Amino acid sequence: MPNLYQLQNICKTYKDKDVLQVESLFIYNKEIVGIYGSNGSGKTTLLRLLSFLDEPSKGEILFEGRLTNHNELYLRRQVTYLDQSPYLLKRSVWGNVSYGLKVRGISSKSGQIHEILDIVGLPPQEYARRKWYQLSGGEAQRVALAARLVLRPKVLVLDEPTTNLDAESTKRIREASLRVREQWGTTIVLASHDQDWMDSISDRGLEMQDGRIISTRSKQ
Amino acid sequence: MDYIWQGLAQAFYLLFANDPATYSAIWTTLKVSTLSIISSLILGIPAGFFLGHYSFPGKKAVRVLVDTLLSFPTVVIGLLVYIMVSRQGPLGELDILFTIPAIAVGQTVLGLPIVIALTASAVESLDQRLKYTLLTLGADRFQVLLTTVWEARFSIMAAAVTAYGRIVSEVGISMMVGGNIKWHTRTITTAIALETNKGKFGMGIALGFVLLCIAFAVNLCLNLLHKRTEE
Repeated sequence: MPNLYQLQNICKTYKDKDVLQVESLFIYNKEIVGIYGSNGSGKTTLLRLLSFLDEPSKGEILFEGRLTNHNELYLRRQVTYLDQSPYLLKRSVWGNVSYGLKVRGISSKSGQIHEILDIVGLPPQEYARRKWYQLSGGEAQRVALAARLVLRPKVLVLDEPTTNLDAESTKRIREASLRVREQWGTTIVLASHDQDWMDSISDRGLEMQDGRIISTRSKQ
Repeated sequence: MDYIWQGLAQAFYLLFANDPATYSAIWTTLKVSTLSIISSLILGIPAGFFLGHYSFPGKKAVRVLVDTLLSFPTVVIGLLVYIMVSRQGPLGELDILFTIPAIAVGQTVLGLPIVIALTASAVESLDQRLKYTLLTLGADRFQVLLTTVWEARFSIMAAAVTAYGRIVSEVGISMMVGGNIKWHTRTITTAIALETNKGKFGMGIALGFVLLCIAFAVNLCLNLLHKRTEE
């Protein structure tokens, strides 16, 4: 598989403290990479760098073989990030899911939105017109996932996506992730405390501790 | 007690008989307050957004200044605007003293700190996750700004209503820079003050009733807008 990301000598510093140090990391096209580790191990920092929401204090990130700058809009539109307690815009489910298309100047077709809501297990007839405050935690998480999937991103970054979710929502998120990889060849990078859930979905696991990757294991 | 009942009866007569002097004050009030609130919002929303969204040296001092201006007495604003637009003043050439534009300038000065302070607070209190959400959904910097203002829309609408309430009910500015000229710059509040001094409670009550109706209509519009923007 051709490599999508290449991280070289990455260091991220907050208040004079190194919170992330990655000498070298490759992530390949269409791969599902799981990252696990305790709180404060640097998982979220790494995911934010991979999503181009933050920039490293030192080092280089190459994306598709090209040196990156986190301010580049093109890059942010290739990768989309979902965290454990996503923010929903103060609008309907439809408004939330179509927002990313709107800012790209793409008109949202109802078939497209309905397909995505179906993928995340929210029947469109029932949910499309619901407002942001009429959703449970699990439903809000799935709407946030749908808002990202509708963009057909090259990379989907999921940070603890199943924390505090019920079994049904966890299952739906797993199915949706596998389906978009299968259908669109999306690369997925995810972090979770739920190691069984993560092992069931990922091709490769990275273990982090104190801001470093201490071991890698591949699915046999 | 009789004079109160007489006043009420006269108020209804003036309103239902389309009394020209009463309706002149009402239209003047609507014209000048609309001008003032529009200019307060055009200047105040971007300034409030800037104050709430960005960090810059001296931000706290600006915030204290804006908060202080919230309690600026209307007669002092009237005095300052009078000095500025009177013949010898720096804006004397505009020749707007005792006109509707002069009142609108003063009322804009009155409404501006309210819009700035409440917009800044609304933007500051937005969820910190909003910015990352917009960025990861592919918004550019301008789209982030617009959506952030839209997310704060309910609080900004409340700021607009609060500012309008203060503008429409002030007397000091209208009296000092408007001059309370009948048919020209006489507003509801200056007319109430004048007629009450003359012992003519009827017109005062009639205009007071209209003022209450305006406040009610503005709040009703806000509620309708609130419901519509939720959809």
